[in-house]
Amino acid sequence: MVARVGWSPGPAAWKDDLSALTAAEWSYDRAAHLLAHAGFGGTPAEIQKLADAGLERAVRSLVYYESIPNPAMQPFVESGLWDPTLNGFPESRPEATDRAEKSGTSMGVETKPSGNRPGQPISDRFFYWLRATMLETRRLGYWWANRMLQTTHPVEQKMALLWHGHFATHENKVRDYRKMMQQIDLFERGATGNLRDLTIQVAQNPAMLYFLDAQYNVKGAPNENFAREVMELFTMGVGNYSEQDVRECARAFTGWYFDNLAFKLDPDKHDAGEKTFLGRTGNFDGVDLLKIIFQQPVTAEYLAGKIYRFLVRDEVSAELRTKLGAVLRDHDYEVKPLLTVIFSSKDFYSQASYGGHIKGPVEHMVAMMKHLGVEAIPGVPDFNQSTISMGQHLLNPPSVAGWAGGKAWITPGLLIARGNVAREVLIPDVTGFKDWNFTAGTDDILGRRLRDGFDIGAATAVNDPSSMNEFDRVALERDERFNTRISGYVGWQQAARKLIPTPRQAAQFDLTQMVLESGAKTTAEAVDYLIWRTLRVPPAQAARVAFVAFLTKELGTDNIDRAKTYMEDALRMTVHLVMSTPEYQIV
Amino acid sequence: MSRRDIIRLGAGGLGFGLFGGIGPVPPVLRQASRAAAAAQPGRILVVFEWFGGNDGLNTIVPYGDPMYYKHRPTIGIKEKDLLAIDAHVGWHKSMSGMKHLFDDGKVAIIQGVGYDRPSFSHFSSISFWHTAAPNSGNEYGWIGRTASAMDPAGARPNMIVNISDSQTLAVKAEKHVPLVFVDPTKFQRGVFAQEKAVLDMLSAPHAPVGDAHKYVLEVTRSAAQASEVVRAAWDGYKGKDNPDLRLLDLDKVAALIEADFPTTLYYVPLRNSLFDTHVNQAAPHDRQLQYCSDAIAGFFQEMKRIGRADDVVMYVHSEFGRRVPENTSLGTDHGTAQVNFVIGNAVKGGLYGKPPSLTNLVLGDNLENTTDFRQVYATLIQQWMGADAATVLGQNFTTMDMFRA
Repeated sequence: MVARVGWSPGPAAWKDDLSALTAAEWSYDRAAHLLAHAGFGGTPAEIQKLADAGLERAVRSLVYYESIPNPAMQPFVESGLWDPTLNGFPESRPEATDRAEKSGTSMGVETKPSGNRPGQPISDRFFYWLRATMLETRRLGYWWANRMLQTTHPVEQKMALLWHGHFATHENKVRDYRKMMQQIDLFERGATGNLRDLTIQVAQNPAMLYFLDAQYNVKGAPNENFAREVMELFTMGVGNYSEQDVRECARAFTGWYFDNLAFKLDPDKHDAGEKTFLGRTGNFDGVDLLKIIFQQPVTAEYLAGKIYRFLVRDEVSAELRTKLGAVLRDHDYEVKPLLTVIFSSKDFYSQASYGGHIKGPVEHMVAMMKHLGVEAIPGVPDFNQSTISMGQHLLNPPSVAGWAGGKAWITPGLLIARGNVAREVLIPDVTGFKDWNFTAGTDDILGRRLRDGFDIGAATAVNDPSSMNEFDRVALERDERFNTRISGYVGWQQAARKLIPTPRQAAQFDLTQMVLESGAKTTAEAVDYLIWRTLRVPPAQAARVAFVAFLTKELGTDNIDRAKTYMEDALRMTVHLVMSTPEYQIV
Repeated sequence: MSRRDIIRLGAGGLGFGLFGGIGPVPPVLRQASRAAAAAQPGRILVVFEWFGGNDGLNTIVPYGDPMYYKHRPTIGIKEKDLLAIDAHVGWHKSMSGMKHLFDDGKVAIIQGVGYDRPSFSHFSSISFWHTAAPNSGNEYGWIGRTASAMDPAGARPNMIVNISDSQTLAVKAEKHVPLVFVDPTKFQRGVFAQEKAVLDMLSAPHAPVGDAHKYVLEVTRSAAQASEVVRAAWDGYKGKDNPDLRLLDLDKVAALIEADFPTTLYYVPLRNSLFDTHVNQAAPHDRQLQYCSDAIAGFFQEMKRIGRADDVVMYVHSEFGRRVPENTSLGTDHGTAQVNFVIGNAVKGGLYGKPPSLTNLVLGDNLENTTDFRQVYATLIQQWMGADAATVLGQNFTTMDMFRA
């Protein structure tokens, strides 16, 4: 078996040093470190390719990826849930039904002219879209995760993921998977481009406009939500502008809105008057304002620091932040030159950066596939349920501030969830699996009662109608404008009827073959190989010894050749243990 | 397995020697003598954080001041919709649960709570509240520092519980590792029988390669110790079977208290910023206040059932109140001073703090803060927890006479 040299962090003195590594300092281990941080980790073959290319060519191929063919990238196939009557979807069920009470129609459906529950079609329609966009967004997140795994441009996907958390909006509020899809496209295209341009496009992006209440920001009555967040979270960071700047900024963005998937400007609602912003005075509009923001040195430092913390390590010294900000500013906010400096630098390969990054759950899930040599994210376990249990719901960040990242990814509960997800990938419960896209959750009980022939009053009763006498049961039926509980259930049904099913295949991989091809002869060599393939930081010696003993006991021998016909599940359990170590959570 | 063993397990007194990693989940024996509960904490503080910026003026409504309706012609709450306290203020109509507790003399309402030079950013302002360091910061949170003041050696395990997706800054402590979780049923390592013997090795001693590694190692250890006892407490908790008892995340606190968990400090931030009501605020704010108020009332019913109502005090705050005049979107923008609540049998109910003027507004249409939030913290730390507030907060604050002798 080939001796594998792993874990070769540069000296501590390299910290904060942005000068480039020399060719002699390049190695397989450093290529593995690069791919783990710049992308989602890699298979040994992918890492070897970068190692063979040498530092400069390796970094260049990762950062300037446009000319590399990317055949696996296919467009998202929509289930066809949307139609134009859903444009301008009401913000709430009361808004939907009130609208219909006045006009007789809402979201393309009409109220009934007579009979009980005349508003039921409206209420049903509202819940249909609520469920439909939520279900389609799950498919969209899964599709995106597969892009992260299958791309030949890992830096593009990693940076798109960064921008999704940075310019955070969530489907829970936006309620339109199409706008979220538009955003993924924006973040991919702008992943490593110019940050000023990206920010301007984000400010004109329908999901963002809706998310931060742009439609309520009008001349004479500014709404400050977007104005504050654009400075606090997207560009400068708190403390670098005044409350007066927030108010003036809100004025500049007045009249910005969207129609369906297009940005619009309403000149009547735009305040074209003079504004004083960050010490400058003029008849600024929103784009002028963003340009002023990008003239502030603090903006470059804030954004460079954010990129660095996302890719490299949690802790950034003030000195390093200033240096990184200068690189970004010197290149007029072009991201590629900054990434090239970071990925080539001694700092990036220093002791402080080795094991300095806690993987986010989506990154973790994609990396797990790379480590196992899996070519598609499995359908069992469900991708979204898995990452949600680990603390990250793609396309639904918890707030406008995105995910906190770093240490916030790890709590006792979330750490345990990581081990459990690894088990579900390695040894999935395929026969016990239930597809959550095709249940109505607690509303399923209503469906059962309706199918058992109960009317709406009885079906929505708190107590089980089948245990009531006929007299009590009939008394449950009542006159009402509409029944939202039934709508909740009907919404699930109508949406799921059209929804394209997610293929539910388990992850396809073969640890037996991998271990045999590695040349491992003993269980100790097999464990060392699996550790080398999956971990960036070596485990505790006692843990390694225990894993070897475990595998030996499970196989009934320490001889791999003797066990080769039956060792798959024991190897999978061993990898489950390896992936449950504290070391597997960091790179 | 006796109740005492479970308690000691919760206290970290027994390790995995007994169970060999994960063993059968021990039943929590509820009827056993409380005298055996060596680790049962005396007084407990539960912080219930209403993140999002709760509109205090539409929570405890100053309906006696005509200026209130001038500032809020459309979203102002009409007198007929209020649960009046006196001729000046009343509870929002959705808050009958808390109003009943107030009528029983168990709720301190503190008006005008804030700090000088307030931040209008959710995230900055909540970090000031978390660290008790306005316009500044601290590496550790005020709850974490309170734990340090009470137990300087960090010897008491599971002293802080944080019901949250990720650790709240308020609980970050120098020596104590807070127990952070949301769903007790998922707080369990899924393992096959063969793997159990190896699990202890996941937290085998290991020299950390850096800060992130050190943190993950610490949490691995804490997770191993805590998950089993949390689940045992949850499995034994009766309140979860009552569909009418909607406690938000306070049910997990009730479960741990019922199981005599050694925790002294609980921190429960409301998830999702549902108090962030820029637009069409009436319906969501009504609903949100009702959920929260009902949850608090339900929680204290549970404390009564469990027999710990005298020992538990809850503190409710947000990161800021909202702007005094309504905006044109039938909502309110970020503001300054807010209303806080301190609740429990031990509390002397009533109105505290000077109500801020609705005429002399500051900082562009905002309420002046009349009570520094650290005065409330100091009162809780000093008078309820019995720790030295000046040590925790770095300076002396005037406390309020808020607790029964």
